[in-house]
Parts: sequence; structure tokens; C-alpha cells
Amino acid sequence: MKIFKSEKDLSAIFLVVLLILSCGIFMSLKIKTDNISREKIPGSSIIYIPSGQYLKYATFGNSSLLADLIYIWAIQYYSDYTIPDMYEYLDHIFSIINELDPSYLDPYDVGAVIAAYEAGDLDLALKILDRGLERNPEQWLFPYLAGHYAQMINKDHKLAQEYYKKAMDIEGVPPIVRRLYADAIFKSMDYKRALQTWLEIYETAKDERVKKIASNHLYNIKATIDIKKINEAIEKFKERYGRYPMELSQLVRAGFLDSLPKDLDGKEYIYNSRTGEVKTPIIPWKR
Amino acid sequence: MKIKAIALNTFKEAIRDRILYLLLFFAAVCIIFSRLLALLTVGDRVKIIKDVGLTSLSLFGALMAILMGTGLVFKEIDKKTIYTIISKPIHRYQFLLGKFFGLVLTLFIMLLLMSFIFLALVFFHTFTIEWEMFVAILFIFFELCLITSVALLFSCFSTPILSSIFSLAFYLIGHTAWGLETLIKKIPPGLGKTLAQTLYHFLPDLENFNFKTEIVQHLDIPSEAFLYSILYGIFYTLFVLIIAVLVFRKRDFI
Repeated sequence: MKIFKSEKDLSAIFLVVLLILSCGIFMSLKIKTDNISREKIPGSSIIYIPSGQYLKYATFGNSSLLADLIYIWAIQYYSDYTIPDMYEYLDHIFSIINELDPSYLDPYDVGAVIAAYEAGDLDLALKILDRGLERNPEQWLFPYLAGHYAQMINKDHKLAQEYYKKAMDIEGVPPIVRRLYADAIFKSMDYKRALQTWLEIYETAKDERVKKIASNHLYNIKATIDIKKINEAIEKFKERYGRYPMELSQLVRAGFLDSLPKDLDGKEYIYNSRTGEVKTPIIPWKR
Repeated sequence: MKIKAIALNTFKEAIRDRILYLLLFFAAVCIIFSRLLALLTVGDRVKIIKDVGLTSLSLFGALMAILMGTGLVFKEIDKKTIYTIISKPIHRYQFLLGKFFGLVLTLFIMLLLMSFIFLALVFFHTFTIEWEMFVAILFIFFELCLITSVALLFSCFSTPILSSIFSLAFYLIGHTAWGLETLIKKIPPGLGKTLAQTLYHFLPDLENFNFKTEIVQHLDIPSEAFLYSILYGIFYTLFVLIIAVLVFRKRDFI
């Protein structure tokens, strides 16, 4: 009995030694395998994403969660600049997220930023934002951003006006959108309408800061209209006399102008008779 | 010989289990479903079939190992057949190893069946037999062996339900433990970092058996990765089996 017991103890000791040995071996093998670098294809995971329309059914009511996960994944994906043709599926990826969770606002915003600034595809940015507005008609942010991109990136001031107008029709839009709208009208060189819009902004402004901004814009528009008119008169003067007038009042005396326009503050414009250049007596934004 | 006899008996018992065929059926459905899923994707369809197919093999193989492995020893104790076995001149480690190899043989056959369906589907699309797929399948088999040993260990002292939960947790930990590496990087040097590093190296890393992505995308795999992964699988399985033997030796059936 005694011998049997010691045999059992011996085998137990053997097993424990084997246990420690195997533990040590697999832990060191783990370190070894960790040191082996395994090749990965950047962005290869793109292939796993089917259309959002079908994917929604496969989520069993957890489409919002899946939208979150794909959105998080998409952010990582578009942070890796080593992926070739990474923008090829941009619309596809973000349309899936939008499909899975149409009221999730961030993906529209971020997708449009990536499309506009990273991919340089303004049409796609506008498409994503249009989708955002279509599914969230109460969100003024999407037409506002679309207008901003159209104005800043493509300098398409007419398109920008359309988007700003859409944003202005939505409740809760901040006053700056109306000012951007007026600025877009001015930049599309529709001075009469720009003057009228800025005048309305000035008259309805609730604080002095906005009044001042509107006033500066009004000054700028009036000065642009006046200087354009004076420049045309100067050109006619030069055609007839072969030189620039010595002073602007000569334009009135010669009959090219009915009267000499003055700036919004009632001051005369500065004229350089050597170059024929006319400018405002003050920088409009520093009044 | 005794181990072989128990193993063959375990195999015969396992292939009569209905749950095995249910899982095989669902695995086949999933593999075939990959064809439909491929239709919905943008890009390479065969890739989807391969990915879904290999994942089904791995996932359903793991479920088979867990659901059957956790009942292996428990059933013998519950039905009191263990008394007849341990009263014979047989060591307890022989009994456990017999059970282990019996289930491993069952899983091997099941994996072959699932692989056949999967490779047939791939062949239907590419008209070539992609032999490299067998490498991925072989490592799935090593993973299943390790999971079987874990299921067997829990089966020695716990009920099948709890054992299944523990084994599933092992499976999940094994596939997510790599996340600890990120945590370790953020821990300042000291006792905490050392403990986290030890834990990281001790926890199972089932990703060592995951060559699915590389195989499907035809990426180069260093040969030492194969070697070390196989050795890792063998020694981790041995480690778990020794614990199972130690636990089982301590159990008193009389």
C-alpha cells in the first residue's frame, strides 16, 4: 500500500513537472510566433461589405449597431493612406452606413468631408449630403455644408446659393447661413440682389455685431458698384483723350458721369491719376 | 491499446450523436449560403465564398468540439458507467486520452466532410482544386484539438452547460487576446506591466492557427510561422490535458 502511494505521488510529481515544462514551452513559442511578422493587404477588408439594403435584414434588428461598427471601421480604413484606390468604394461604404441607420448624422458629415477634401470629389460630397438631407429633412447642417463646399472648393456661387436657400428654409438655422447666402449672391456678381439681401440682414439684425458685419458688406457692395461705374467712365475718358483724367471730377465735367459717387460713409473714393486706379478710402472690413 | 479501445468506442458513440449531424447540416447550409452572400458583394465573389466557408469550418468545428467534448466525461459519471470503467485495470490518464483521441478522430472526419462541401463549392467557381486551402484547414484542425482538450478539462469537474460556457469563453479569449498587446503598450513599466505581459503570453492565442486570410489572399507565410504554430498547439494541448489528468485523478467516484 505504501509503495502504491509513493508511485502515485511520483507520477503526480512527473505530471506537475511536465505541466510546468509544457507551460514554459508554449509561452516561449508564443513569444516566438509574435515576433514573426505576417503580411497583410492594407484595406483588404473592403471586400466583406455587401449592399446595405440587404445587410439590414441580416442584422436581426441591430442595424444601428452594425452602422456604428462599419462607421468606426470606415474611419480606420480612411486613416490608412497606404491603401491603393481607397476612395473607389467611398460612396458604397457610406451609403451602407446611411442605409443601416439613416438618422445617424455623423457619417453624412464625415463621408462628405472625406469625399470633398481627401478624395477631391465634390460631386460625391454633395451626393452624400443630399442623401443626409433627404433622410433628415429637419437638418439644416447638410445643405449648409453642401453650400459651403460648393462655394469654397468649386467656387460655384450659384449652386452654393441654392443650398444655402434650402438650409434657410429649415427651422433652427443659425443667422450665419443667411449671411453666407448673401455673400454667395455678391460673389456671383448679382450686386443688386446682394445689396437688397444685405440690407434686409442689416435691418433685421438683433445685435450690433451683425449690424456692423452687414454694414461692412453693404459698404463693400456699394463700393464695388461705384468703382465699376467710375472705371467704365475712366475707360471712356481715356478713349477720347488718350490719357487718364487728372481727377475724378473731370469725368462729371466731361459728361461721363452724372455725379461723382461717394462711399457709404459719404467719403470720396481715392483716385490715382497715374495708374487710373480707384479704391475705397478705407478697407471695408476695417471700418 | 487501452487508449485506442476507448478512443474507438468514443468515436462510435460520438457519430451516433444527433447534435453532430445538426451542426454538420448548419455548417453545410452556411457554406452554401456563402454563394448567395457572394452575389450581394462588390468585388471578388470567390473570396467571399472562401472566407465564409473557412469561417464556417472553424466555427462549427469549434461548436462540435465544445458541445460534444463537454459531455464526454460528465456523461460517464452521470450514467454511472464510469464505475465499470475505472474498476478495470486502466489508468485514469488512459481513459482521458482515449476520450480525447476519440473526439479528435470524430472532429477529423467531420472536418473532412465539411471541407469536401467547401472545396466542391470553390471548385464550382474556379474549376481548380486549391490545395493551399488544406493548410488553412489543417490549422483549423489544430485549433479544434486544443478546444477539445479544454472542453474535456471542464467536463472533468463541471456540468455540460457550464463547461460549454467556459469553453466558449476560452474560444473567445483565444481569438481576442491579441488586444491585450495594445493595453500592455499603454501600461507604464512596473509590476502591472509584467503581470499583463505574463497574462498575455499565458492566455491561449488561437490566432496562431488562423491562416485563413493569408491563404485566401495568397500572401506569403513564413515557414517558421507554421512550425511554431504547430508546436504551440501541441504544447498548449498537452498542458491542458495534463491539468485534466490531474483534476480527474483527484476525483473520488467511490
